[in-house]
Amino acid sequence: MISPTQPAIRIDDLHYAYPSYLREGQPVKVLRGVNLTVAAGEFVALLGRVASGKSTLCMALNGLVPHATGGVFRGQVWVAGQDTRRHPISDLARTVGLVFQDPETQLTQMRVEDEIAFGPENLGLPADEMEARVAWALRAVGLEAYRDRSPLRLSGGEKQRVAIAAMLAMRPRVLVLDEPTANLDPAGKASVLGVLANLARERRIAILVATQELDRVARHADRVLVLHEGRIGMDAPPADVFAQVARLQEWGIGLPQAVELGHLLTQRTGRPYRFDDMGQAFHILCSEVRTAPQPSIPAALPAPAPVPAVPAAPQIMLEEVAFSYPDGIEALCGVNLAVRPGEFVVLLGPNGSGKTTLAKHLNGLLKPCRGRVLIDGRDTRSERVAELAHQVGYVFQNPDHQIFSATVADEIAFGPRIQNLPPDTVAQRVAAGLARFRLSPFTDLPPALLGSGQRRQVALAAVLATQPQALVLDEPTGGLDARSRQELMEAVVAFNHEQRTVILITHDMGIVTEYASRTVVLVSGRIVFDGAPQDLFERTDILQQARLAVPPVVRLARRLQPCGLPRGVLTCAEFAAAWQARLRSYGAITAAPRGEEARNDAG
Amino acid sequence: MPAEFDIYVRRNTWVYALDPRVKLAFVVVATVIAFLWPNAGVAAAVGVVCLAFFWLAQVPAVRIVRFLRGLVPFLVMVWLLTVLFAGGPGRVWLRLGPLPITASGLTQGTLLVARLLALGLIFFLWLSTTDQAAMVRGFVALRMPYEWGLTLALALRYVPIFAGLFGQVREAQQARGLDLEQRQFWQRLRAYRPVLIAMIISALRSGERLGWALEARALGAQGVRRTVWRPLRLRRADFIALTLLTGVLIAAILLRVL
Repeated sequence: MISPTQPAIRIDDLHYAYPSYLREGQPVKVLRGVNLTVAAGEFVALLGRVASGKSTLCMALNGLVPHATGGVFRGQVWVAGQDTRRHPISDLARTVGLVFQDPETQLTQMRVEDEIAFGPENLGLPADEMEARVAWALRAVGLEAYRDRSPLRLSGGEKQRVAIAAMLAMRPRVLVLDEPTANLDPAGKASVLGVLANLARERRIAILVATQELDRVARHADRVLVLHEGRIGMDAPPADVFAQVARLQEWGIGLPQAVELGHLLTQRTGRPYRFDDMGQAFHILCSEVRTAPQPSIPAALPAPAPVPAVPAAPQIMLEEVAFSYPDGIEALCGVNLAVRPGEFVVLLGPNGSGKTTLAKHLNGLLKPCRGRVLIDGRDTRSERVAELAHQVGYVFQNPDHQIFSATVADEIAFGPRIQNLPPDTVAQRVAAGLARFRLSPFTDLPPALLGSGQRRQVALAAVLATQPQALVLDEPTGGLDARSRQELMEAVVAFNHEQRTVILITHDMGIVTEYASRTVVLVSGRIVFDGAPQDLFERTDILQQARLAVPPVVRLARRLQPCGLPRGVLTCAEFAAAWQARLRSYGAITAAPRGEEARNDAG
Repeated sequence: MPAEFDIYVRRNTWVYALDPRVKLAFVVVATVIAFLWPNAGVAAAVGVVCLAFFWLAQVPAVRIVRFLRGLVPFLVMVWLLTVLFAGGPGRVWLRLGPLPITASGLTQGTLLVARLLALGLIFFLWLSTTDQAAMVRGFVALRMPYEWGLTLALALRYVPIFAGLFGQVREAQQARGLDLEQRQFWQRLRAYRPVLIAMIISALRSGERLGWALEARALGAQGVRRTVWRPLRLRRADFIALTLLTGVLIAAILLRVL
């Protein structure tokens, strides 16, 4: 038992370095003096760039660092008063639960209730106590009805909740979660974070979540930590942390949309705006216009610059495509899709709706059971995958599935070499890939040893090096921080600008609003929507059916339409420009518009 | 999305409800009988009994068909090899170049294939109707150390997961232009090298994570005697089934010996 005054987590000047991967190398320093105290019942979010040491810090809390990882450990970590260096991991498991990003490798049993009883069994608890704890843990995560199900057959969000319940059943004082929502669809993310906020509030469990979910963190967390250069760089309530816009941007962390919007509005109008959440933004902006006369405002943003004239022939054609897996599960049904060169198509839909199955038809990995798929007019059924790979590059969700070479340079060279290109062309493409993703320092390192963000970059670089005409990406940004995501997307956009096609699967609605020229929504193997992102957000029926989340700024813009905001606003930048136009139209501000967004001022 | 990773399918039939130790006893008895007589008919009969149990347990026929389809190439190969090379002496039935095909070769081949088929069905029945937790509980109740039981269960569980992983890695490599559809066997084998390396890396990664996850769940906590949430108890149906199985085993042995 811990006393009320004893902190749930206390870390004093923690330094940690991983043992070197290479025999002659130096230990890899990750943590450089972390100090932290977390009280019981606090819900703390840990932000930081990929490879900033978030996972390491999480693992230090249950003793995996250093007991399982070795390396150089200095400083002290106490969890509920226990020194993690003095207690083995399996002992610490009574006090601290650790949930990992990938549910697949933490679920070990065949039934949900057995999964949850596994920890208590290991603790040697009596049967009636276990019964009570299993029931309690399932109730706490809202999965009472799932007792008898197989964990392997649940959705991603449900799997993570089972993993959380499995930890709860050991009645930990502290629950640590490492990117628990990175692979989940919006509905799954919301359910997991909601459960966590409840646990902290009602069960007084100290919760520490490493995550990149800025908008949700801003809403749920009591405190936000930012890990920067191996130290806790910021430690304050969400509103105070997110107020430090310049620093967060410099550190590559990104901002919740409400904060970003306030920042952009301030920049544009010269007036001070600061929003902690969209509700506040709504009230402030509403009161601002209530006092002003209603101007005549265009009903919609001017149409975006017309897409440069595209050749009429579609590059990718799906005609009445149906596909069933050998076990009879029908994954696609009557899918028709024509994609022209230069389009940026985002594929949306809940987990298990057939997005990946559809994507695998685009380079012949799967061949349709009925209907046909044409790539540049060639039927995929009569082509080899290796041939189609020259036309359509495919970046898989998990970079580890495609990485195998001894060095990063070899990895990138693999595709061009297989195409039998001359050695100097290969070398040229490798150099271009290394430069594009700033991977030059790692040229001769094994890619498997890089951090997860860098492994994704290597995987993308390796595919781009083959110079395909179209690029298919399966969830390329899950778990990436704001800057890594932006760098990755910049490479994709650059590819797209060369009149080459991008087809991207994601749960990240930010990618839809910022980059997509077209959205295709799949539900249960059928296309239920195919059109511009602006039109998608008008279709509440589709959004609900596909369990898609509307980005906060889009929701705000729609609520403000009666106040004269034009339709079709998708991003904070568009919002700020439209609001500025709105204010200028009745002379509230006179500041000259910034040159590059002048198109919004035309009306 | 490979959805079907494990062999076990849950159904609410009495076959499923039987104690895992009873099912293990069935595996032993059925295997003994299939090998007791050097007779393909007996082995085939054991296979038919298994199929009957599949039907009683309401295991979907699709799965059995798929399993058998996977087994057929292997069985054909075994049959051909036995008939061609392990025929032994006897009346020559047919001569394929230098290879004599004898009657005993044919019998041997057929017997071996029938036994393998029976074995395959017995174990497939066992794995389809016994979930991994019950299996481990069964073994542990029979005095196997818990760590062994868990290791076995995880291994069984991870075989299909690794098979799925192999498929994913293969697809990822093909998507990068690796031609795995080559005609020649050796070329194809060489082409698979990158697939295997990526797969080993992934497998090591997930193996490490699994180990961490188990430790984080207090597996092997010091000074603790592990308890079992729902200990196994034999019920009436189990006793009846056990008695029947024992009876069948004794009868079979007596028949064979006498």
